[in-house]
Amino acid sequence: MSKDFEQLPHTADIKIRVYGKTLEELFRNALVGMFQIIGTRSEQCTTKNDRLVCDNLPGRYAVEVSSPQQDLLLADFLSEALFLSDIHNQAFFNLEVQELTETHIRATVHGVDVEGFDTEIKAVTYHELKLQQVDGIWQAEVVFDI
Amino acid sequence: MSEKIITREDLIKLNDNLYEIPQSFREDMLVPARVYMNEEMIDSVLADKSLWQLVNVATLPGIKKYAIAMPDIHQGYGFPIGGVAATAIAEGGVISPGGIGYDINCGVRLLVADTTAASIKSHLPRVATEIFRSVPSGVGRGGKLKLQADEIDKVLTDGAKFMLEWGYGSLEDTELCEEQGAMPGADASMVSDRAKKRGRDQLGTLGSGNHFLELQVIDKIFDEKAAQAFGLQEGLVTVMIHCGSRGLGHQTCTDYVKLMMQKLPGWGYNLPDRELVCAPFSSPAAQDYFAAMVGAANFGWANRHVIAHWTREAVHKALGGSVKLSMVYDVSHNIGKIETHVIDGKETRVLMHRKGATRAFGPGTPETPQRYRAVGQPVLIPGTMGTASYILAGATEGMQQAFGTSCHGAGRRLSRSKAKKMVRGSELRERLESQGIIIRCASDAGLAEEAPMAYKDVDNVVNIVHESKLAYKVARLKPLAVIKGG
Repeated sequence: MSKDFEQLPHTADIKIRVYGKTLEELFRNALVGMFQIIGTRSEQCTTKNDRLVCDNLPGRYAVEVSSPQQDLLLADFLSEALFLSDIHNQAFFNLEVQELTETHIRATVHGVDVEGFDTEIKAVTYHELKLQQVDGIWQAEVVFDI
Repeated sequence: MSEKIITREDLIKLNDNLYEIPQSFREDMLVPARVYMNEEMIDSVLADKSLWQLVNVATLPGIKKYAIAMPDIHQGYGFPIGGVAATAIAEGGVISPGGIGYDINCGVRLLVADTTAASIKSHLPRVATEIFRSVPSGVGRGGKLKLQADEIDKVLTDGAKFMLEWGYGSLEDTELCEEQGAMPGADASMVSDRAKKRGRDQLGTLGSGNHFLELQVIDKIFDEKAAQAFGLQEGLVTVMIHCGSRGLGHQTCTDYVKLMMQKLPGWGYNLPDRELVCAPFSSPAAQDYFAAMVGAANFGWANRHVIAHWTREAVHKALGGSVKLSMVYDVSHNIGKIETHVIDGKETRVLMHRKGATRAFGPGTPETPQRYRAVGQPVLIPGTMGTASYILAGATEGMQQAFGTSCHGAGRRLSRSKAKKMVRGSELRERLESQGIIIRCASDAGLAEEAPMAYKDVDNVVNIVHESKLAYKVARLKPLAVIKGG
């Protein structure tokens, strides 16, 4: 299985590196990575190999974000998902993209009710934000303030 | 701008506790960078990017005197945590949301009991359990209060004062709070609907991470006169509440960082780091952010005010109503303020950024409550789990040195992933409990990340502040019980 995301060291916060064969896959893996890394707890899912596995993602929320640059778009998209997570008490583990350009995304996030998270993300930051193609694979790095 | 590794050679020692990186270090610096640290700490400070970030802060348009870092300095975004910067409003000085932080008005409230720890020792487990039940904590759990739209607007404008109308707390709680619990200048319409939606059911919640509520005992008095003025005596129980403005504050900062980033090209700034994103304070974007930030700050004070009220109720329930918990003070350590300081002999109006740094105004300052004015503003420094917390008093010498500022805590030195590798949450719980510290925690998973070894030595940090005369040690508090969201 190709790598989707991994945690990198950072003094006070959480940093992840995300991979994707396409930009859409990268955005999806970033979304999933964010909710996996914070230790989502949901009775409707099970844990396998340190990851939460959910058979059903009944929650559906529309997301539409515009940003001046592609890397900012990724961070702003994750911020929007964080906002939806907070008000609906859900975690999102799939993404259905309707439109994705360098500066705009329109999509639906798929999620599940949660009882809580082990770690609380205060914000998705622009700190050390990276989004680029390396040997044909999309790669991004995002730091979360916790 | 690509980073150059800062080494000991780049540091000029001004005294045992203060080092400077001169303005000549980099051509875009407008002022020198100063960091309060001692020899023992230098290697750990050089180990992350915090000094490079401080050098970046020294390039902010309108910055005056020095970019300053407190001894609990560590890497942040744009600004290092422990960062202090004053920008002159009349000279195109900017406001930078990263210099205030995502958790707007993260801060500390302290109450003191009229009873000793010794006399209620056997009841402590019950008290801790009752508080844990009464104060919602952890992530993904809503609070007990659900605010309507007009009510949230009142919280943003009137902060802790509004909560008095609902029968929470007392007038004295607001009088002995920084800004009296309601900073002027809030505009509720500048806080987004997103932020309000998040804050609606989060008033009176502790959150998680390094936020906590502690029962403590005053175990040492350093300054009798100040301790007496603050109402502190050795052996008395105290309650310390450390939390901020929750999702409402986080969303507000996120919203304005995004907005200012979009407007940034228009200002023509050449910022060395995008996270220093800023706008001239006189601009509409900056004014809107400030008005929103003040609203979020007021939400933070209302939050701690409500939590204090429920804590009192829990203590009364556990002990039968005989113990009185009086307000000592409440400080913010992530905030932007309009202040006037004497700079080059001239009274200058500045936007004061304190990010992971606490205001520490000296004796005689009008902002300090009347009953404390002779000794200086109380400064509340939370320790990490199982270690000491401190109460200091602001010093006159600190006003000129560091715009009347002190540290805010111990400061992290290990990443969360490293901390988790060094100790498991359950081990840490056992270790703390074997020291006689009661733990009430929603989940052990977050406990390991907050292990004391992941932080700098708080005694060392506070001693540097004391020896530098930024603030003086008044009392040390030791934990009896820790209540956390996990």
